[in-house]
Amino acid sequence: MATTRSSQGGSIIVLTVIVAMLLMLIPFPDNLRLARPEWVLMTVIYWALALPQRVGVGYAWVVGLIMDALMGGPLGIEAFSYGFVIYLILRFHLQIRQYPLWQQALSIMALVLVVNIPAVAMTSNFTNWSVWLPVVTTTVLWPIVYAFLRMVRQTFNVS
Amino acid sequence: MDYFAAARGTLLNIVYPIQVVASFPGDAKEWMSEFFQNRDDLKEKNIALEATNLLNSVRLQKLQNLERENTRLRELLGSSFRLTERVLVAELLSVDLDPFSQQVVLNKGLNDGVFNGQPVLDAHGVMGQVTEVTNFSSRAMLLTDPSHGLPVQINRNGLRAVAIGRGMGEPLQLEHLVHNADVRVGDVLVTSGLGGRFPVGYPVGTIIAINYPQGKAFADINIKPAAELDTSREVLLVLPTEKQKTEAEAEENAAIEADSDATEKTENESTSAENLN
Repeated sequence: MATTRSSQGGSIIVLTVIVAMLLMLIPFPDNLRLARPEWVLMTVIYWALALPQRVGVGYAWVVGLIMDALMGGPLGIEAFSYGFVIYLILRFHLQIRQYPLWQQALSIMALVLVVNIPAVAMTSNFTNWSVWLPVVTTTVLWPIVYAFLRMVRQTFNVS
Repeated sequence: MDYFAAARGTLLNIVYPIQVVASFPGDAKEWMSEFFQNRDDLKEKNIALEATNLLNSVRLQKLQNLERENTRLRELLGSSFRLTERVLVAELLSVDLDPFSQQVVLNKGLNDGVFNGQPVLDAHGVMGQVTEVTNFSSRAMLLTDPSHGLPVQINRNGLRAVAIGRGMGEPLQLEHLVHNADVRVGDVLVTSGLGGRFPVGYPVGTIIAINYPQGKAFADINIKPAAELDTSREVLLVLPTEKQKTEAEAEENAAIEADSDATEKTENESTSAENLN
């Protein structure tokens, strides 16, 4: 965690990530299971957009590694893709911040696709259209998550 | 590679609390529905349970007789008899993993004596096997996982084959059986015990469909798993008996002769399994 002395609210960031992990794990009804949005990725993307000096590639990599362990996948896939996505976010965060929310959501969609491709390729489920459902739900939910996390950030004065 | 395993183990121990917390809502739902059951339902359930209990204890008496008889006969034949396996009851954590990998998390780990490769059963049949163990929890791969293969035999005639998983909600497939193999729809499959990982004679499933694709060497045989993979919450982990361990070692030593022996053995055991039913 790249905390400097002047920054505050690091525990809030960790807390939101943990809550997002819980949301990933809590059982859904069967017909919604496949459409589970990428809560954790959205949370990390938000913090990288808002506080690029704090949440960087290393942070994302660690979160991704924990996600690998949680979901029981091969260790390192999510870690790599989270790191990669956050790299892109950091590279373009100034542009993405300026976009209206719906356009932001579209860029997030592209990034989530990037995350999903290696995972899907590993499980050889390419032809099954339902593996792409999380991309859609993540895109749709992004504005809500964004608004919520911004509220959290302002309430607890995370900087 | 050892470093990786250790790192993975540590990581899994770290995330275990998150999994436990995530399973609260599911558990709470279960608990609530148990708590708010009305008296009549419970009464009805109790009557039904008592009836099955009576039935089971009658069957058990018969089974004990058969078991004793079986042991005696085996002593006459000079072959060793496997003791009944001991089991450990574990509960599933109600957490959702990647919907495309067929895995479940169990609430027993190294501290309870769970080990890698341990067979997992539910009340109706084989569920899968343990693939990863940490101190407090373990992860089991279900039969339906595409990378899971299970040595089985047909209860009716002892025909041996391997049942391969094909992913969520799909039936298992019986591999490499030629078109004229003696299989019928409705045949019950049990574990064959070959490979030494699963105990002999546990039900695996029933054959629900057989297709003979033109121009293919092998038949396409679909199996419906006996275990309730989606609904079981309590599972049994089979602990090997000491006798079985030594037997397994002996079998390894005598691997060359094993082929002819194994045929005989599975045939014997398939008859005993039929007796159970």
